[in-house]
Amino acid sequence: MTFKNNKKFYSVWILLILVLAFLNGCGKKEKQTEHEIKSVKDLAGAVIGVQLGTTGDIYASDYEKEGAVIERFTKGADAAQALKQGKVDCIIIDQQPAKAITDKNSELSILDEEFKKEEYAICISKDKSKLKNQINEVIAQLKKDKTLNNIINNYIGDSTIGKFPYQSPKDVERNNGTLTIATNAAFEPYEYMEDGEIVGIDIDIAQAIADRLGMNLIVQNMEYDSIIGAVQSGKADVGVAGMSITEDRLRSIDFTEPYTTATQVIIVCKSGNLVETSILDSIKLNFLKDNRWKYLTDGLLMTLQISFFAVIIGIVLGFIIAVIRTACDMTGKGKILNFVCKTYLTIIRGTPAMVQLLIIYYVIFSSVDVNKLFTASIAFGLNSSAYIAEIVRSGIMSVDKGQFEAGRSIGFNYIQTMWNFILPQAFKNILPALGNEFIVLLKETAISGYIGIMDLTRGGDFIRSRTYDAFLPLIAVAIIYLIIVMFLTHIVSCIERRLRIDV
Amino acid sequence: MFNSENVLIQVDNLQKNFKNIKVLNGITTQIKKGEVLVILGPSGCGKSTFLRCLNLLEEPTVGSIFFNGDEITDINTDINKHRQKMMMVFQHFNLFPHLTILENLIAGPVKLLKKSKEEAKAKGIELLKRVGLEDKAMAYPNQLSGGQKQRVAICRALAMEPEVILFDEPTSALDPEMVGEVLEVMKSLANEGMTMICVTHEMGFARMIANRIIFLYEGVVAEEGTPEEVFDRPKNENLKAFLSKTLNPILCRT
Ligand SMILES: Nc1ncnc2c1ncn2[C@@H]1O[C@H](COP(=O)(O)OP(=O)(O)OP(=O)(O)O)[C@@H](O)[C@H]1O
Ligand SMILES: [Mg+2]
Repeated sequence: MTFKNNKKFYSVWILLILVLAFLNGCGKKEKQTEHEIKSVKDLAGAVIGVQLGTTGDIYASDYEKEGAVIERFTKGADAAQALKQGKVDCIIIDQQPAKAITDKNSELSILDEEFKKEEYAICISKDKSKLKNQINEVIAQLKKDKTLNNIINNYIGDSTIGKFPYQSPKDVERNNGTLTIATNAAFEPYEYMEDGEIVGIDIDIAQAIADRLGMNLIVQNMEYDSIIGAVQSGKADVGVAGMSITEDRLRSIDFTEPYTTATQVIIVCKSGNLVETSILDSIKLNFLKDNRWKYLTDGLLMTLQISFFAVIIGIVLGFIIAVIRTACDMTGKGKILNFVCKTYLTIIRGTPAMVQLLIIYYVIFSSVDVNKLFTASIAFGLNSSAYIAEIVRSGIMSVDKGQFEAGRSIGFNYIQTMWNFILPQAFKNILPALGNEFIVLLKETAISGYIGIMDLTRGGDFIRSRTYDAFLPLIAVAIIYLIIVMFLTHIVSCIERRLRIDV
Repeated sequence: MFNSENVLIQVDNLQKNFKNIKVLNGITTQIKKGEVLVILGPSGCGKSTFLRCLNLLEEPTVGSIFFNGDEITDINTDINKHRQKMMMVFQHFNLFPHLTILENLIAGPVKLLKKSKEEAKAKGIELLKRVGLEDKAMAYPNQLSGGQKQRVAICRALAMEPEVILFDEPTSALDPEMVGEVLEVMKSLANEGMTMICVTHEMGFARMIANRIIFLYEGVVAEEGTPEEVFDRPKNENLKAFLSKTLNPILCRT
């Protein structure tokens, strides 16, 4: 790349960032509070923000009949952001997470009037009644010996915070297997990330239960609305995620005895006092504090790993499919195999990658405990193989038919001819297209967060959920993708140029 | 009925249809070891198809072909083994463009005949010397002229030490000044006793090297005989018409 080109690139970037910054600023100023909420009565006709699948969501939905509009967010932090930007009029959420939100956002406050009281319990599959009884016993013990109280007080209550950190007893023997819990670490103080680890009341309680049952605790982080599915399918033994018992949930899942009561409250925006933060503070908050930049670097590494393994799987499978398809086209043999391949291509190319990822994780690998990186690599590899197969096929078609006849007439069989003479020529022709496929794939992996993988996108999103600032984390993520894609594009075009000279 | 020692290829009632177009309508002939057979015929009469049926690049619709006494049209025969002894030289050379000239020559011997690389290379260089192209060993096909490419293609066939070579119009794609160099190589092969089956439009050349000539017309052998019989005393009307159309009067007198 020449110097001149570089300059052009930089100016495009700076322009882009300025435009985004401007839009960001605009968004803040044009905040409108159309519908002011002062009490529960005002909820009718309001735009209510909730966290998807939570009890708040369920109760708020009752107001839909009265003209309320429910905006469902996957994280409380997203809802807070929407509230600040005036996209929703209020948020209904549990009291403790609400406190965490208002502590970090001085312009938001909790209404004095409580919305609803509820009890939190651990959800468990209906066929695990033995485990359920064991857990109930432990909960009773924990209540009795005040362990439960201490755990909660360690996170809640101004004077008691940090005073009673839960410690596993030293002499626990863990020979009763593992206890895998599903949670959604975006619900402070029940479960949230701190220094890259999932912590919170529920996690400590789960640890205490595992300790008493002599089991090893495994914590699986996922979307809140995936938890019940994970518990049902056996991917997790129990769900511990500040979940209250409702009619609907009882239909598909069972609950232990409640371990605490919680209150749903309403968060509103104090009218018209927006705190402006300087960009430097913003950078400090988003990237430097608590080493948050590590979410981006670790995420990037994960994104690159998934893309790399996926593209290898995709190329191998893609080549095999392409060879089968062309073999059938050329010789008319292997009709059944060809049909299988064609069906595969139709299915893979006819369904969204995201759905394929979810199916592979929750359906195909539901009962086996597999590495998520492995799952994602398989999912994206399969997806990509369909596209690579067609690229390779067109590459094989682009090789002169005489090449094939020459190989066969010397006495090479079909596979040998393909391998020695056709594929090397085809590969050269399609190298740029393969490079582009890799770039597409890399961007596609941004959805791997849906099965709880901390990839680059998820990493940025995570920072956002901690700092309640959308602008910097998301722009940083976008810029990192952009840099990598530009770098790869550059390599692809270099290869393209070299191939052109070679010919 | 054909099992005489000398017969290399026996063709019985060979028929070939493309969908419902009949191209070959029952050809029966045999090629003896050391024989040079030239196939003549107007364009589209099925010469290429006949040649390509012999090494099964086209699958015959009806009929059988025996090579060295084995029926290669039998589906249980490993055709790849037989093809290694039955090379083909194409009109458009079909060299492998991603390999050097020497790599083109040694691919078959090394991978199929399991010769050592050194041995195959030595043999390759020797063959290239023979056609005057040893200095091109490391070049790529696209750096060669048409005539040079066709000579390399012949070397590639010879490197497999075949029992017969099938030539399909080896000089038709060449500029006129390059035709001679290729025919020269073929002539020397014929003189050494190589069995050759050759489709060509070079009448003078055909007359010179052929032991026997077959005239194909509408998918059947319309006439067959020595060069003298075919060129000087043609009986078939279609052959007469063909000859009068294509024969260069100057060549005719030589
Ligand atoms: N793969 C094919 N599919 C359908 N028809 C074909 C195919 N190959 C050849 N033909 C037809 O078979 C007939 C004979 O073709 P062939 O190539 O054998 O003729 P030829 O004698 O070699 O002619 P030329 O002198 O032009 O090379 C032609 O009519 C051609 O159109
Ligand atoms: Mg032809």
